[in-house]
Amino acid sequence: MPQLRSLLPAILFTIAYAAVSLSVTNSYYQLVLTLVPVWAVFGLSWNLLSGYTGLISFGHAAFFGIGAYTTALGQIYFDLSPWLLIPIAAMLGGIAGLLIGFPTFRLQGHYFALAMLAYPLAILYVFEWLGFQEVTLPMKRDAPIAYMQFGDPRLYTLLALAIMLATIVLTRIIEQSRFGMALLAIKQNEAAAEAAGINTLAWKLRAITLSGAIAAAIGAFYAQVLLVVTPQSVFGMLVSAQALTVAMFGGVGTVWGPVIGSVILIPLAEILHAEAGDRFPGIQGVIFGFAIICVILVAPEGLFWKLRDLLRKRFPRKANAAPDASQPATATVTPLHTEPRKRAAGSEVVLEVRNLSRSFGGLKAVQNVSFKLHKNEILGIIGPNGAGKTTLFNLLNGFLRPDEGEVLIDGRNMSGERPHTICEAGIGRTFQVMRPFLRMSILDNVVVGAYVRAKTEDEARKLAADAVARVGLSDVADRVAGELSTKELRLMELARALAGQPRILLLDETLAGLGHGEADEVVAVIRQLARDGITIAIIEHTMQAMVRLVDSFVVLDHGAVITEGEPEVVTRDNRVIEAYLGKKWVAHAPH
Amino acid sequence: MNKNPKGLTRRTVLSGAAAVGFSGLARAQQPAEVKVGLIVPLSGIYTRPGQVMKMGAEMGIDHINKQGGIKALGGARMKLVVIDCGDTTEKAKNAAQRMVAQETDLVAATGAYLSSFTLAVTEVTERAELPVLTLSYSDLLTERGFKYIFQTAAPASRQSELGLPTLMKLAESASGKRPKTVAMLMDNTATSIATAKALKEKLFAQEGLQFVVEEIWTPPLSDATPLIQKVRSARPDLLLFMPNAVSDAKLGLEKINEFGLGQGKIPTVSFSITIAEPDMLQSVSTEAVQGIMTIVANWGSKGQEELIAELKAKYKEPWATQNVVSTYGDMWLMKEALEKAGKVDRQAVAQAFRTMDAGPSRYYPGGQLKFDEKGRRVGAGVVIVQWQNGVPVTVYPPELAQASPFWPKKS
Repeated sequence: MPQLRSLLPAILFTIAYAAVSLSVTNSYYQLVLTLVPVWAVFGLSWNLLSGYTGLISFGHAAFFGIGAYTTALGQIYFDLSPWLLIPIAAMLGGIAGLLIGFPTFRLQGHYFALAMLAYPLAILYVFEWLGFQEVTLPMKRDAPIAYMQFGDPRLYTLLALAIMLATIVLTRIIEQSRFGMALLAIKQNEAAAEAAGINTLAWKLRAITLSGAIAAAIGAFYAQVLLVVTPQSVFGMLVSAQALTVAMFGGVGTVWGPVIGSVILIPLAEILHAEAGDRFPGIQGVIFGFAIICVILVAPEGLFWKLRDLLRKRFPRKANAAPDASQPATATVTPLHTEPRKRAAGSEVVLEVRNLSRSFGGLKAVQNVSFKLHKNEILGIIGPNGAGKTTLFNLLNGFLRPDEGEVLIDGRNMSGERPHTICEAGIGRTFQVMRPFLRMSILDNVVVGAYVRAKTEDEARKLAADAVARVGLSDVADRVAGELSTKELRLMELARALAGQPRILLLDETLAGLGHGEADEVVAVIRQLARDGITIAIIEHTMQAMVRLVDSFVVLDHGAVITEGEPEVVTRDNRVIEAYLGKKWVAHAPH
Repeated sequence: MNKNPKGLTRRTVLSGAAAVGFSGLARAQQPAEVKVGLIVPLSGIYTRPGQVMKMGAEMGIDHINKQGGIKALGGARMKLVVIDCGDTTEKAKNAAQRMVAQETDLVAATGAYLSSFTLAVTEVTERAELPVLTLSYSDLLTERGFKYIFQTAAPASRQSELGLPTLMKLAESASGKRPKTVAMLMDNTATSIATAKALKEKLFAQEGLQFVVEEIWTPPLSDATPLIQKVRSARPDLLLFMPNAVSDAKLGLEKINEFGLGQGKIPTVSFSITIAEPDMLQSVSTEAVQGIMTIVANWGSKGQEELIAELKAKYKEPWATQNVVSTYGDMWLMKEALEKAGKVDRQAVAQAFRTMDAGPSRYYPGGQLKFDEKGRRVGAGVVIVQWQNGVPVTVYPPELAQASPFWPKKS
């Protein structure tokens, strides 16, 4: 549950707004006052999906329209009251969200946005075809209250405000829970989230279901205010655009964004329409568009973030400012000097790869690879650039499906499972190209990785704090990932993988881009992890650091294993030298 | 929103004052002005018809005032309040709310071109008890049990009922034989669907027409080829071509000509004013439209020559469409109601519309200046308009006809 304090501004805002609206007797201004929270809620529902997951929906009108037609048709054909129809609309909207989300979440980025655009337009034609071009809500002169047809327009505003407050509270609850963290993680890096054990599809489906339900509920209410429903007015492009406009103008990914956007834009549009439109018809659109362009140029992330940044600059928070300014904390890891670890020969096999193959068109990226990973071993997977090392990892952790072969984890075939399932089974991984959640703090980044094991929020925080400590980042745990150095990011990724308490860690070029001293620090951390009982497979194409780190090597070239064995043997192998340096160097190699 | 826009405008203050004081005052001493509203699209894609309606209204007000204003009110002058209802249903609803909240001294209004807009506008005006005249002809408008809406045009279902038999007679008398087969190409807007429903369910059978091709498109039409190809292969005696956007009409007619079906090879008939809009001539040749007929709710006709001449001189409009004539007529109808009511009061004006019986109508085709209990004008008829030498002229009914009709003959 969100703390009451974080809801206080929302509650105060709602009360102030209600007070203002109660004092307005002009029915036109009251209508504008009603529409502000309506569009704010619609923006919030869009924000819940698109703001937090980053999957832009151009088609939220689909849900809005379903809601609107539910109230209209429910009253006409079944004589139901809107008090009942609005919850029904929310339910239908949720179902629509699920039905739309399930196929559409296969797409990403622009493709997702475009596919979403199609739904309301398609539904629009269905409703036209069904003959619902113009539907009017029947006027109930005898039982207006039972049918939500208030004589006093202020009641509409109050009702809309109640829906808005409820939506804000709901959004807040989500924001501060595992749900919100999962969505934020998806937004910043879906692959990393999935690898960290987050079932991204499930969370996204929950988000779109909830988002659809809210959009449909407010659509249903909107029909009650508008009294006439036409496909264009509820499924049209402009409706979907309205959600984007208010949210993007006010600020994406925050509960205040759509509210700010709506409070400014809706009255502005109406005032322009009323004041300028009568004298210079059409000018209102020009001014409105121009205002939006200017704000987006000045504050591309929306007004909320811009204002927040300005305020932070002017009044930096004292608690944080003191240590940061005087002496920027950095991660320090003291390399522990320990005797080389001897692996217990013939210990139990935790991961076995059998005849794994994968092609991309004609390119055989991985062919017929087999090896075994023993408990508590550090296995180095080496090979020149393009040898198929990362593809192999992607096959192991489920990003890719193998064409052939098996991946056995503790004897169980897990090939073809989704990444989060494999993560649950105890395999963590890091990435060659780091995939931090840039706007989140180190600790929050790591918490995302802990959810796979943690039952409660507290447990997740604890696991995350442990993991951060193990890699030596405790001092900088509050810093935002965007400010970190490469080494710190590498360690943070390691911590994120660790937070899920994996038994096997797949490290993809963890040493890449590090200076000599930095590499040593990271190597020390990895050694310590191995001593703590974690089995590690590490990819690297520079051999130097590896030779001292690993117990054995698997060498890949052109997607196939060319040799495997202990470091001393492998580094002298002619085939390895040839793969790395070319044929003519084989002669110079020491024998 | 913490800042309330209230108090920002001069008009608010005025209308507020009017609400409390002026109206009482107004009854005591005869007003110099009576305000009536025109709520039409003046921005967005329906701007043009809105502008044309405004021309009609302005001319109407002008003529009434020049004739001495409202005699029952001591020669009070009529004043037009123009409100832009935008291009969406929501904007129309908001505009209507603004109209009733801020123009509290309106006694009547007319609007709002598209029937969807009129639906939304009248939901507001009904609650504010402001009488509204409309040229929109969706049946739904006057089926809601509303008491403050008055529809001057024949409703859509009635238009086809009235129009088709007339058309058949025309064909028979001009060409010597009745058409036997019919093709229908239509868009899927509310008006077209309502018209088509009446045609298919009743009228085709009643007129002995065999329905051979039916094609429906969603505007905007991107390519008319497949539609016209079907018509060419079926070779019907009559083609009903029902676009509601000028661009669709152009595209269809160009294709009809390209396929060699134009200029009377297949007599083409429409059911809206779109195909006779002045815009048509900007990209379709005079020859391409020659002979095409359309059945509409109103059109500039015999006896309105002066009005049409003035429209040409003042606004450079080549001819008077339904939008001009009906809105012009609405002003006279409002004057009539004000004379009958004898006071500046919307309730009295509404009652005057309901009980009015002012004889034959001058600016709407057929029937009386009288409304039934639904708010439909009693005996409202249709006119048939035909493109003749680059001008769409009224050819039916005979008492309104500017020219005689000719039936395009297959050559």
